[in-house]
Parts: sequence; C-alpha cells; structure tokens
Amino acid sequence: MSKPEFVYTIYIASTPEKIFEALTDAKMSERYWHGASVISDWKIGSPFALRLARHDKEVTGEVLEYDPPRRLSYSFRAHDGSDGGKPSRVTFELERQRDQVRLTMVHDRFEPGSVVLEKVSMGWPLILSSLKSYIECGKVLYAPWYENQAASPKLAVGGER
Amino acid sequence: MSKPEFVYTTYIETTPEKLWHALTDGDFTERYWFGARLRSDWKVGSSFEMVRSDGTVSDAGKIIEVDPPRRLAYTFVNLSDKYKNEFPALATFVLEPYGKLVKLTLTHEGFAEGSKFYSGISKGWPAILSSLKSLLETGRPLEIPYEALKFEG
Repeated sequence: MSKPEFVYTIYIASTPEKIFEALTDAKMSERYWHGASVISDWKIGSPFALRLARHDKEVTGEVLEYDPPRRLSYSFRAHDGSDGGKPSRVTFELERQRDQVRLTMVHDRFEPGSVVLEKVSMGWPLILSSLKSYIECGKVLYAPWYENQAASPKLAVGGER
Repeated sequence: MSKPEFVYTTYIETTPEKLWHALTDGDFTERYWFGARLRSDWKVGSSFEMVRSDGTVSDAGKIIEVDPPRRLAYTFVNLSDKYKNEFPALATFVLEPYGKLVKLTLTHEGFAEGSKFYSGISKGWPAILSSLKSLLETGRPLEIPYEALKFEG
C-alpha cells in the first residue's frame, strides 16, 4: 500500500522569490486562494493560520520550515476538526528551471483513515492552478461553486466558505 | 498491492472546445509537448503516435475513446530500449466545464508494478500540462528544459 499523501507538481513562469512571496503573503494568498489568507510571522515554531473567507474558522498549525525562496512547511489542522485535531503536514519546494519554477507540494503525515486527505486532494489542484494563473497573467481562477455553496464539491483547502 | 496509477488535475481558463483542439491538433501539441507532435486521425482503433521534430516516432499506441469535447483516451508506450518490456498504458482525459474554467483530469493507468515508464510519465505530465495551461491562458507555452525532469537512467 502506498503512503497516504498528496503530491502535486506544477511549473510556473516566474522566479522562486515571487512564488515564495505569494505563498507567504496574506494579501496575495487572498487573491488566488479565493479569499483565504495565510497568516504567520514565519518564524520556525510560530503559529500558522489559513483563515478561510466568510468563515470564522481557520486551518491552524505551526511553521516547520522557512527557507526562502526554496522550502516552506507548516503543520495543518483541519478547520472543521475532521482530523480529530491531529495535524498533517504541508511542504512546498521551489526549484528554478531556466525561466520557470518547478513547485512541488507534498501534503502528508495523515492519520490512518483520515478524510482530510481526500478533501485536500480535490482542493490543492484548483488552488495551485489559480496561483499559476495569478502569477503568470494576474488573473485568478474562480470556480462557480465558490459562488454557489449548494453546488459545492467538498473542498477543504479554502474551497469552503 | 495497488498498481501504479497517475492522476493529475488542472484548471484552465478556456473552453472545452479549445482544450480539445489543444489536445488533438498536431501543430498545437508541438508547441507545448517538448516539441513532440501528436499524430492520429482520432478514430477509435486508429494508431496514435508522438512524433519528434526530426520525424521519428518516440511513442506509439492506439485510440480507445473519442467523445469531443468531453473524453479522450489512448494508449501509448515509449519505444526506446529503456522501456522495451513495457506495454502501452491507458491515458484518459476528462474535460469538465465549470463557468469560465475547464477542469482537466488525466488518469494514466495500466502499468505493471515497478514500471519505469510510469516513473517517466509521472515526471512528464506535470510539465506538459503546465505548459499547456500557460499556452492557453497567456499565449506562451513554458519551455521546460527536458533535463529538468530528472529522468532516472
């Protein structure tokens, strides 16, 4: 059986510095993360929060790695308690490739039988596709379900609001 | 033990028709697919080939499903010696419109356990589909250095 983890790789025409900034800046994240913002002072061990739009709730965690512009990692406790308060881990790795960056995101350390893995596996492709569009052309991607909660697939990563 | 399967989802601001064209038009594919050109008449049962810029065929298989602009499936395997014991695996593209976006889901399956080809395509697809997304949204593909994929062997 394979390890319970979600891995996503995407190439973005940009620099590691710009992408690292987008991953750690509250205002920028709000744009491509559909109103959700990342909040932290980004010191190792400091609290991390992903404040979901139109929600009092937030994903919480701690900063595990902060190595600009190459690696960023934080622990991730689901906003709705669906992980029983046991955090998983999110890690971003940025590698410059000529005039682009390869961004690899790994979401791992799930408890056995976690329902969070399934939800984030649906959420991350949209968030990271939106990040790429935001950085490359200044546009963000809006999926209609952001406007229509009733039709919403269950997305844990900023998809719910 | 589960068989290796590669699944990749991306969201592109385009229409299913434009994305379908991008996936099946030889001239268009050449712009974002590491210079490879897809060659087929896109009829079920027909041959499917990836053609390098020098005219040689790198990968070959056949067309399994054609339902424009929603579903496209074909098999292929790389023809180099490195993969000589491998069989063509099935790549299925599903295009779903969501407002101004199209959700593109690629599932590549049917690999033997320990398949080297699986390892190769797992590195190739994110690059190809990232380049496709850029080309459709910005008009410019990504010129991803092939060596950046860190293929083993």
